[in-house]
Amino acid sequence: MKSKITAGLVASLLGAVLFTAPAHAQNQRIALLSGISGPIAAMAPAMLEAMQLAVRHVNEQGGIGNGGRLEFVIGDDACNPQNATDAATKAVNIDRVIGMVGPACSGAVIAAANSVTIPAGVLMITSSGTSPQITKLNDRDLVFRTVPSDDYQGRALARTLKERGMDKVAVAYVNNDYGKGLADAFKDEFESVGGTLAGFSGHEAGKASYRSDLAQLARGGADTLVVFDYGDGSGLTILRQALENNFFKNFVGADGMKSDAVIRELGADNLKTFFTSAPVGEASASLDAFNQAFAAAGHDPNAIFATTSYDAAFLMALAIEKAGGDRAKLSEALRSVSTEPGEPIMVGEWAKAKQLIAEGKDINYKGAAGDHAFDENGDVPGNYSFFKVSGTTYEAIAEMH
Amino acid sequence: MTAIDFINFYIVPGLVLGSIYAVGAIGITMVFGILRFAHLAHGDLATMGAFFALAAVTLLGVDPWVALPVAMILAAALAVGLDRTFYDYLRDRPKILTVMASLGVALMVRAVIQVVWGTDPQTYQRGIVRPDNYFGILLRNRELYTLLAVVVIVVALETFLRKSKWGKAMRAMSDNPDLARLSGVDIRHVTVLTWAIVGALCAASGFFLGINTELHSMMGWHMLLPMFAAAILGGVGRVQGAVLGGFIVGLAEELSILVMPGPYKSATAFVILLAILLVRPRGLLNGKVL
Amino acid sequence: MELIGLANYAIFLGILIGIYALLSLGLNIQWGFTGLFNAGIAGFFAIGAYTTAILTSPHLPGRVGGFEMPILVGWAGAMIVAGLIAWPIGKICLRFRSDYLAIATIGVAEIIRLAIRTEEWLTGGTRGITGIPRPFGDLPYVQSQLAYLVIVALAVLIVYLLVERQLHAPWGRMMRAIRDNEGAAAAMGKRIEARRLQAFIFGSTLMGLAGALFVHFNRSITPEAIDPMIATFLIWIMLILGGSGNNRGAILGAVVIWTIWSVSEILTDRLPTEMAIQAKYVRVFIIGLMLQLVLRFRPEGILPEERRTRTAPPG
Repeated sequence: MKSKITAGLVASLLGAVLFTAPAHAQNQRIALLSGISGPIAAMAPAMLEAMQLAVRHVNEQGGIGNGGRLEFVIGDDACNPQNATDAATKAVNIDRVIGMVGPACSGAVIAAANSVTIPAGVLMITSSGTSPQITKLNDRDLVFRTVPSDDYQGRALARTLKERGMDKVAVAYVNNDYGKGLADAFKDEFESVGGTLAGFSGHEAGKASYRSDLAQLARGGADTLVVFDYGDGSGLTILRQALENNFFKNFVGADGMKSDAVIRELGADNLKTFFTSAPVGEASASLDAFNQAFAAAGHDPNAIFATTSYDAAFLMALAIEKAGGDRAKLSEALRSVSTEPGEPIMVGEWAKAKQLIAEGKDINYKGAAGDHAFDENGDVPGNYSFFKVSGTTYEAIAEMH
Repeated sequence: MTAIDFINFYIVPGLVLGSIYAVGAIGITMVFGILRFAHLAHGDLATMGAFFALAAVTLLGVDPWVALPVAMILAAALAVGLDRTFYDYLRDRPKILTVMASLGVALMVRAVIQVVWGTDPQTYQRGIVRPDNYFGILLRNRELYTLLAVVVIVVALETFLRKSKWGKAMRAMSDNPDLARLSGVDIRHVTVLTWAIVGALCAASGFFLGINTELHSMMGWHMLLPMFAAAILGGVGRVQGAVLGGFIVGLAEELSILVMPGPYKSATAFVILLAILLVRPRGLLNGKVL
Repeated sequence: MELIGLANYAIFLGILIGIYALLSLGLNIQWGFTGLFNAGIAGFFAIGAYTTAILTSPHLPGRVGGFEMPILVGWAGAMIVAGLIAWPIGKICLRFRSDYLAIATIGVAEIIRLAIRTEEWLTGGTRGITGIPRPFGDLPYVQSQLAYLVIVALAVLIVYLLVERQLHAPWGRMMRAIRDNEGAAAAMGKRIEARRLQAFIFGSTLMGLAGALFVHFNRSITPEAIDPMIATFLIWIMLILGGSGNNRGAILGAVVIWTIWSVSEILTDRLPTEMAIQAKYVRVFIIGLMLQLVLRFRPEGILPEERRTRTAPPG
């Protein structure tokens, strides 16, 4: 066993010598974790860019504390628990981060929180872990999220479809925590508001053909198919094969389906009856500010989880500032900067926030994705819109309640 | 469910999927039969072939069906190269080491695909194609071509194996390698030729899967188990067996949805594999057992 | 203090190395000593992980299990169930050359993965199982990690001694005789299939134990934890590089490969995002290439198998 520890030490020392910048006392370091590889690799770059935009805003407007800078390290959770604990352990122990933004996927969040950040007392804010399971973590108030639980979205979508007269639908979900979580919440709510589920089935990602699955779902007689899947994964295959075979008339997806790949691959002409729900920032000055800043940095502000990722990183910075860099006070500080009462702070208004904190005044961050009034579980309620395809992009046509 | 629906939504997709598996299974059965090992990189080689065709489509702007022969030639060259680089030197060692090397090759090939083309799904042609109606049976051109291509491939390969000198040498080696060597078959040439054919077949199966669905870096790996099940079901070393096995596995996967929950669809091939090993390991057409 | 952080990381690394060493030892019994190609290591690992999770986690409405049994019961259960799954697979496939076993175990890992994701009433489905106890988990972070390291190290040590003893017993000599010359061993009246089956099951139980240790370390398990190919392949390269047929080689391989794998990620994560993604795949490529190089230039691994006798011993 001794040889293992030695080997580990030598290796990690090597890593540290090469790659950790000399730490100034006033600098603060946070970890940005996302699913750089793995199933959501397509979403990760925009999420990381948004987080880094928040860090830039902080550093361009006075930095942290007394002339310190906000540093960050990036880690890959690969959307899987093993990688996530590995990445989180490195971040917490080698990089000595004060807080963590991410990981991206729910399974990764739960594992990293349970075995690394909660025991080590490190604050975690995930911007895309949407599983209802995260709500239930015994987290000593150290796990927060800026993205609403799938539970809200599934239920909101169920009510919206019912209101729009789609009384009888079939549901196809990808068999993972995302698809299943949404589908269960949707089913529960849709049936309780009097809708009829004419089919409900899960499928494995990555298969070549889903035609018989679709035929089976279509047998129930619904003309609307609800797909809880990813639009740059098997959700695209499902949609294509359903369209090609005229199995259904209307198609509805959740945020995972709101992907440019769908429009690019299938063509807007074929998607006139395709709708998706997705969390949105309520139209606000803050959201406009984010959209402008993110677009100016050369990125697509509509990218999924971009707003929540920005907010997560910015909130983390605010909490660090408020807590004066004291790790133990971080979660209390996070609650303080995100809830009433307080002077409203918009996206990018770091200098203003910093000054107010210095003056000992309360602030209340109004983020790009929403107000982020965390409940006792560290969850936020969701704002969702209903989108249709318009040209090469998605256009919101209604708010969802 | 009407009979015509059953044909359109279960039988036709099953046959198309089956023909894709069949083309891949022919390659597997040839490696298994002639070179005598289970080639685990087969699926990823098929993925590579599919992406070769994509490269031809995007770089040269040609029609996907024109890109197919290009991809087949490139994949043939790649397969021969892989054999020379990674398998050949293990020739005199236990065959299982070659199996292991092929698993390593599978990961390497996939890694190259992921570095070059990323992990997002891609397509040869954008948009959707609605099927034509042939007396109630709904078929797309690409499905028709896929089925026809399988017939052409099988006939051409059978003719080659039965009539040509090299084809006969390959069959001799499959039947009895020692005897083949003694009667003057050039093992080296036969090996190269086998890999060239197998590589081309891989590219074809990957291409057919890609044109009927999407291209994805994991597409071939997911096909590996069904292709092996098909090859063993038909009888190792039997080309017609691989085709028969391919169609059975393809149909069984599509029909499994009637009796099993959707998520277990991909378990069908595995069940078939274990069942055939249990009751008739030589396969339907009496192939080899290693 | 930076140094404490590094020590923490080293402890974490050590725990995972220990878990991988168990997997590598299990594979050594199957491949190193018996010549069986198990390409579904991740499947047996998953079985062990989920079995102990079901046995020891607290009860949750809507899910069978959650018996809150003692952890040791969970570990024993993990080993037993992994062995029980291995039994029919071995029974069907071990009559043939190991190629068939390779294909079948790829299939087994896949089916296990599917079942874990689908059978929500048992495994929590895609949400997984949380709240799994960890021995000494109530201690502060560092002490708790250290305690777990000691537990894992003890497990590796016990398994190592056990396997060594077994292999130097007549059983082990016979296994090698079968591997090296099946015909001769059969001619001497050895029941080859039964012996192989024993080795396959024995190895699989160790993989189940590794899964159990992993799940109690993480306190939770979800289906994503089981990435069939990368995990399986890492263990193969550990064993081949370390020296198949040599238990110390198996452990050494786990140390070397996991350290490289984990530390190299620190390097690649420092790259710009675009390159970091590609670097992940380059890493997989290098692992694949490494296997080819070892097979070609040093097939016996770093620590070659000790050959006490050249010929198959009688008896």
